[in-house]
Amino acid sequence: MNIIMLLVWILILFAVVMLHVAYATYFERKIIGHMQVRVGPMRVGWHGLLQPIADGVKSFFKEDIIPENADKPTFLAAPIICLVAMMTSLAVLPFAKGWVLADIDIGLLFIFAMSSLASYGVVLAGWASNSKYSFLGGLRSMAQVISYEISMGLSLVGVMLMAGSLNLTQIVEAQGDSFLGMYLMPQCIGFFVFFISMLAETNRVPFDLPEAETELVSGYSTEYSGMRYAIFFMAEYIGMMVMASIATICYLGGWNGPFEVALFPPFWFVLKVYLFMFLFIWIRATLPRYRYDQLMDLGWKLLIPLALANIVLTACFRAILA
Amino acid sequence: MYVQYKPKRGLLGTIFQVEILQGMALTLKRLFSKPITRQYPDVKPVIRPGFRGQHALVRDPETGDSKCIGCMRCAMACPSRCIRIRSHKGKEPGAKRKIDCYRIESLRCVYCGYCEEVCPVNAIVLTEVYEYGSYDRPSLYFTREQLLANWDRFVEEKGADMENYVNPFWRPRGLAEADLPAPKRLSVSAEWRGEEQVVGRKWQQQQAAQQD
Repeated sequence: MNIIMLLVWILILFAVVMLHVAYATYFERKIIGHMQVRVGPMRVGWHGLLQPIADGVKSFFKEDIIPENADKPTFLAAPIICLVAMMTSLAVLPFAKGWVLADIDIGLLFIFAMSSLASYGVVLAGWASNSKYSFLGGLRSMAQVISYEISMGLSLVGVMLMAGSLNLTQIVEAQGDSFLGMYLMPQCIGFFVFFISMLAETNRVPFDLPEAETELVSGYSTEYSGMRYAIFFMAEYIGMMVMASIATICYLGGWNGPFEVALFPPFWFVLKVYLFMFLFIWIRATLPRYRYDQLMDLGWKLLIPLALANIVLTACFRAILA
Repeated sequence: MYVQYKPKRGLLGTIFQVEILQGMALTLKRLFSKPITRQYPDVKPVIRPGFRGQHALVRDPETGDSKCIGCMRCAMACPSRCIRIRSHKGKEPGAKRKIDCYRIESLRCVYCGYCEEVCPVNAIVLTEVYEYGSYDRPSLYFTREQLLANWDRFVEEKGADMENYVNPFWRPRGLAEADLPAPKRLSVSAEWRGEEQVVGRKWQQQQAAQQD
């Protein structure tokens, strides 16, 4: 591919994703507001539509405070690690047939690697801030990573077995364009495990222990201010979108839908991702936070055995049928 | 006491996490309900009678001055000690007490309404004005003139129904007519009158005395 064309595509993707991040925050505040019988942002623009822009400008011009006792290089690097890791995973996502920046054969593995790397940003931020709340947040993030990465990886092994590939485009194509072809039904256990691990991986309610506003005053991001704080948020929302995309690709048949939309091929993909985003927000508006030991219990005692059982079952069926 | 922390449920309930689904259904239902938010600067809240807002000294239409007689009861009753009164009495016999200074430090006020309840002549009021924020402290340290001006402004805003305006605190609820000083025996709707009330210890004692 022509390198300039590639750069243009990267820029377009970047702009679209950034806009989506901005408006995901607006969407979230609105939905949670209405679910709590409030209205959410209303003042900036019509029904608060310009609120994310105002927030962005505000955080950009805010003072950037670095605590005196912070481990400075790590402190500065942590949010960037988060953002870079999350944005890199965008490159391998197929939004429609041929709409992918890097159609690599180890797409799924790449996503795993990058989402794990993003957790390092959180852990390092907690360590480098040199504050007790941040430290506890980082510690919790670490524990969460080791209990949920495994179950998430194992839950997707079922999909790999069924599709026979790690390439995300091939996974979508293996599901075909019929409703019954989606891996949601044959891989329902895997989807269940993946969905819960996905919430934990993106640090969303009910597994938002690393940031836990109510007990750790934003946990790992307590000491961050201005743009660096905003970068953590961007990383979180891109992470949500990446995870929603992976769920769409691996379980809901990616860009395939009941009929083709000629003008905009990724129509169904985007719709499914929005559905997942709504689900994320819906869950956030409903559930309280899990206790720390409950989270560990769920991860180690329930999700990992379930994922392992799913692998065995899928492998047996594959062996019998194929 | 035995508290059942984990409610009993069947196998299906455990698998499908019924409680979580119930909660999700509730939030989804609320998503489509009408928000109760009031967009404050655009939509003003309804002020009910008895609202305790900005302080004012009632201007007596006969004398054109405040009704205050300098009895110091409001200053004594004030829990936050924000009322400051200085007065003097002329040497000649029968002279009335004259108020030199009547100040309310509204930043310290807790808006309990004791001052207007205890005032025997209905001189001090907490009006229904609530938007009087300021950027400096001195302007919120009301002097006598400011307090009288507050009353004038309140009368102007309130308009036509000012003749019948009675703040429920001028005549505390649950007190019988006979227990009130003469200026506080104002004509109010029946539900405010002691005879209709079931609150207030004096009222209860009176009831008990009547039954004996």
